[in-house]
Amino acid sequence: MQQTQRRILFLILLAASFAWILFSVDKSGTSTAGKIPAPKTGFLAPDFALKTLEGETIKLSDLRGHPVLVNLWATWCPPCRAEMQTLETVYNDYKDQGFTVLAVNMTSEDDPQAVLPFVTERGLTYPILLDNKGEIAKAYQMKSLPSSFFINRDGTINEVVIGGPMAEALLRTRIEEMLK
Amino acid sequence: MLNLFRSLFAPPRHLILVFAAVWLGLTLAEKRVSRHGILKEVFDNLVYYSILAYALGGRILFVLEHLQVFINSPLSIFSPNIDLFDPLGALATAILVGVVYGQRQKLPFWATLDALTPLFATLAIGLHLSHLAAGTAFGRPTALPWGMELWNAIRHPTQVYELIASIFIFAFLWLRKPGSLAGFDFLCFTALTAGSRLILEAFRGDSSLIFNGIRSTQVAAWFILAAALIAGEILRTREKTA
Repeated sequence: MQQTQRRILFLILLAASFAWILFSVDKSGTSTAGKIPAPKTGFLAPDFALKTLEGETIKLSDLRGHPVLVNLWATWCPPCRAEMQTLETVYNDYKDQGFTVLAVNMTSEDDPQAVLPFVTERGLTYPILLDNKGEIAKAYQMKSLPSSFFINRDGTINEVVIGGPMAEALLRTRIEEMLK
Repeated sequence: MLNLFRSLFAPPRHLILVFAAVWLGLTLAEKRVSRHGILKEVFDNLVYYSILAYALGGRILFVLEHLQVFINSPLSIFSPNIDLFDPLGALATAILVGVVYGQRQKLPFWATLDALTPLFATLAIGLHLSHLAAGTAFGRPTALPWGMELWNAIRHPTQVYELIASIFIFAFLWLRKPGSLAGFDFLCFTALTAGSRLILEAFRGDSSLIFNGIRSTQVAAWFILAAALIAGEILRTREKTA
């Protein structure tokens, strides 16, 4: 192909590409994220209402306006156990700023009798919720434990961390980002 | 089949696909490195040092960006959590180290990029596979029959679109007859990848938007495409006048 023909072709290509950019403008103004509840960064965190060990019901959407960490765990899960003390530390450091932890025990896959002694022994003070029917495991598409969902004040998911134990620095950097 | 694949390589196991792609890409690149006038050992060192720089640079820069947090929790510096990482900083560090090493070894710039192109092309395939496994880089909702259920909607399987495009790009570059113009392979890869991204971004559901709905990635891809085409013309002109 001669140089002039090639350059004309390139100009046509760039012009067509520019036209495609304008044609594919997202007129709705947003991506899918935020409109559909899904356990994925940028999406609205699936809502739930669960009972705590004390029998109190906590609903996730009632905490809108506060950054929340939803942590899925089980007593038999070693990395879950390893990170719980760190969660307690950061919970105590940031709770006065509006941050909270919701530790959702996968009770349908755990020993319900083991949960209270486990929590008492470790002196955990953040809310422990019981997923007796496995609804949260399904809604959050749990594939591995622990799974942690950092949720912004507006209810959208800031980050998903699969596996653990989470380092204290990871928790603090994410929480401080959500508190800004 | 797709569900089995996604279950097998669910995060964080999706990274296995990227590592496998790097290994395969390096193996393929080594097969052809001599045609670019580069020693295999020097090429391997370039890649290894760059990968090491990527890993270390990403962690070190993340620590520096959140220094106060790590001062209070110094052991976290050595944490295996992969989220304690700055990917853009890591890439910049890898490129810097690669350029410095290349200059010290007096590697020819364009020929080296050509030698690295099979690695880049294979890495692109691995990245799209990992997106498919992890459900990232997802598409916007669609009613088309080949839509894929993901994140509570039937969506364009943009990971599959991009995977197919990257496989075609790799095949085109691998199977084409070698030319004499140094830099052509790399610029061709760059232009084709930018072009495919520009087209396929229109089907994405996670686009970052600017100026009333324009997808920023498409704008960046347009400029990269233009730069690759212009650079190719400059190289052709230089070869003619040389």
